[in-house]
Amino acid sequence: MIKLQNIKKIYGERTVLNIDGLSFTKGETVAIVGPNGSGKSTLLKIIAGVIKSDEGTVETNSRMYYLPQQNIPFRKSVRKNILISMENADDKEIRCNEILAELGLANLADKNAKGLSGGECQRLALGRVLINEGDFLVLDEPSSAADIEGTEMIENAIRKYKDKTGCGVIMTTHSPVQALKLAERVIMLCDGKIVEDGRPEELLINPKTQWGKKFISKWKL
Amino acid sequence: MLMSMDKELLQIIGVTLRMSFFSTLISCLLGMPLGVLLGKSSFKGKGTIIKLTGTFMGLPPVVAGLIVYMLFSKNGILGSLDILFTVEVMVIAQCMLIVPVVINLTHSITSVNSACLIETAKGLNFSKGKTAILMLTENKTALFSVVLSAFGRSIAEVGAVSLVGGNIQWKTRVMTTAIMLETNKGNFSFALALGIILLLISFTVNIIASFAVKEDKQ
Repeated sequence: MIKLQNIKKIYGERTVLNIDGLSFTKGETVAIVGPNGSGKSTLLKIIAGVIKSDEGTVETNSRMYYLPQQNIPFRKSVRKNILISMENADDKEIRCNEILAELGLANLADKNAKGLSGGECQRLALGRVLINEGDFLVLDEPSSAADIEGTEMIENAIRKYKDKTGCGVIMTTHSPVQALKLAERVIMLCDGKIVEDGRPEELLINPKTQWGKKFISKWKL
Repeated sequence: MLMSMDKELLQIIGVTLRMSFFSTLISCLLGMPLGVLLGKSSFKGKGTIIKLTGTFMGLPPVVAGLIVYMLFSKNGILGSLDILFTVEVMVIAQCMLIVPVVINLTHSITSVNSACLIETAKGLNFSKGKTAILMLTENKTALFSVVLSAFGRSIAEVGAVSLVGGNIQWKTRVMTTAIMLETNKGNFSFALALGIILLLISFTVNIIASFAVKEDKQ
């Protein structure tokens, strides 16, 4: 379980995040949506412990793996990129091969990761996260650079990982289709505040706020 | 003279290489971790430290030589070590000049992509040590050029080494100080021969470095 209370993050004079209370349970997939600058990435970074909030607390004893929006492939082969990210395990090579195949990177395994395309890079970055077993996956726009096929691979890999480990998934996305496809819960952020939080079908039919209605009306489903 | 490579010339080359190798090695061992630390962390006074290292990058070699000379002379704080006019003290004087260069350049290199790398490393629950190694390996091509800059500064330096080394024949004479001496004596051919060797060494080091960088890019 992850519990956030009275979270505030301020950059300069701008409050980018202002959340009274929010919690995530292991096993649920939560999509965080909202326009650019609404605080989605900042929220994920605070949840993952990458940055600290200026006010408030994050209570958790869960093991989390976080995928940032900007992915840097390490200066190594694709295979070594996965292996270096893996914590000690007996079946390292087997698991690495599984992940590579799942993400369509098997034929690139021995290539230098610096030569990958943006979409391939993103799949590799996800592979580095999925090779470990955590209680929560915190994913910042995991398929923003991927094509249709790549997006499908990424979504399937996340689903498979979740089914296998029973972990929770917290992800941001600009794709309403992805949010509806993967998530059991959707949180809408606007100017750093939560404006909607509920089951996707509820939000689609009956958003609680005017802002939510307006935002959903722009979704092309 | 170049072809015959007389004993003295070989000895001067040997001392020069020994001094430059250790100056570069020690400066990189001290400066690179500090540069990485400056590049990846944010703390109070970081700006001041960066400004200070920048200032020390412009430290005149004779001033560094003078400070080291005063420290290690008979009446100096470290005079009891009795290492003035040895290669060891020449290395110390050179480190004083090169460490700030290494810190500053390493900081510039690692701070460019450090935020992304640190985010990635934190996301994968890497330890601090693993993150630091990652920073070094991810920037190794650029850091290689820092090593080359350090070596270049060391091998070409004359002011500090002549002050603390004393340019003693068969002991602390290096190529740059020998060139100065031979020029003053009017022995231009020997000075020129040393100059050519100095350039050849630099050229060889650069060739080796470019091969290493090429290997890395593949």
